[in-house]
Amino acid sequence: MTEEELSHRMKVIQFTEEDVARLKKLSPYAREYAEPVIEEFYRHLLSFEEMRAFFPDRRTLDYVKRKQKEYFVRLTEGDYGMKYVEDRLLIGAVHEKIDLPIKTYLAMYAYYENQVASRLRAAFAGHADEAFDVFLSLIKLIRLDMILAIDAYSLRREQTIRQQEEAIRELSTPVLRIRDRLLILPIIGLIDRKRATQITAQLLTSIRNARARVIVIDITGVPVVDTDTANHLVQTVEAARLLGAQVITTGLSSEIAQTIVRLGVDLSRLNTVGDLQGGVEEAERILGYRVIRGEGGSSYLEAG
Amino acid sequence: MAAPFEKYLEPLAIEGERDIVSARERVRDAARGLGFSAVELTLLATAVSEIARNIIEYAGHGTISLRLSDSGRNPGIEVVAEDRGPGIENIELALQDGYSTRRSLGMGLPGARRLVDEFQIESTVGKGTRVILRKWKTSTKAA
Repeated sequence: MTEEELSHRMKVIQFTEEDVARLKKLSPYAREYAEPVIEEFYRHLLSFEEMRAFFPDRRTLDYVKRKQKEYFVRLTEGDYGMKYVEDRLLIGAVHEKIDLPIKTYLAMYAYYENQVASRLRAAFAGHADEAFDVFLSLIKLIRLDMILAIDAYSLRREQTIRQQEEAIRELSTPVLRIRDRLLILPIIGLIDRKRATQITAQLLTSIRNARARVIVIDITGVPVVDTDTANHLVQTVEAARLLGAQVITTGLSSEIAQTIVRLGVDLSRLNTVGDLQGGVEEAERILGYRVIRGEGGSSYLEAG
Repeated sequence: MAAPFEKYLEPLAIEGERDIVSARERVRDAARGLGFSAVELTLLATAVSEIARNIIEYAGHGTISLRLSDSGRNPGIEVVAEDRGPGIENIELALQDGYSTRRSLGMGLPGARRLVDEFQIESTVGKGTRVILRKWKTSTKAA
């Protein structure tokens, strides 16, 4: 998060200097009540079966209690700038990491709020308006903390998704050998720089290993071919050619063909055949195979 | 002629390759909603892909926003790509085929221009670039 975003969010939740001043006035109370409030907080927490698993031993419990007390006091110390935000984001990320569900994390605040409310009532006896204002300021700050926790949780989830996408990419470009010296490379999805590099590397290794002479690259599953994608495709084909293999490209949809023509990209260096079946037949012709229909409809290959 | 663009969609931040995909998916969905044909969808999505890639290549990051016009007789989409990058020194040159200050094919901008009905570009060196594309459901440009 940037400074700009933070001040925007503060504006949205209407957190002002007035709130900061009110919270700071609470500081002596917070220090005084930190100990009993946090002790009660954990007593409540640990009364739930599903929560106990997160505190496997005494040391962990003591550690988080200490941290909670620090946080409790911190809420009333003012200076809710970038440093504050970073600390909160980090705490959120830690909770995501130990697989604490976000609903549980956010629910914990309710107990906090109840505890604080009853103590404020006692501390501000006879000054109900003031107590109410202070409580509202605190709620605003807690709201900000909740937003930050959600941010931290979703950021980590996004990272996980990104890593999984990478893994899927690695798996999604199989180079298949269908005849002696004939490979098929079906490409599905987006071809960006990274993937193009990976596809090329994988293809070149396969060409060497299989001593391939013809490769059919099928791009039926590529939704958009812009100049960059076309460029990658041409480079892959060139690299294969340098290893002595011919490439046949198949699966260009009519929409993509029209787009390429309008874009003005020169794909004359590509040997294109309509569909995958046509591409394989063309490859077999180049390699000198003949497919002969046998009796009962079966077919077999004959090396020419 | 066509009605003004009355519907605004929230700008999409363009910061990496994945955002190029999001941008063209979004424009594809919007155009499909307006009843564009499969060919028109592909042309528009590809044009958006080109200008989004330009943002990443030259400015690092920027935004793409969509405005839709679907009340008139001929629905249309306006795509605005903005960045605060280095800007383009010679726009005429940048719109020529095969011109690129990078190692690309240099077809991005001129290519995108050929895929849409209207194309505008404004750029100030040191300030940034704004590219506006418009495409109507029934193309006003001969194929």
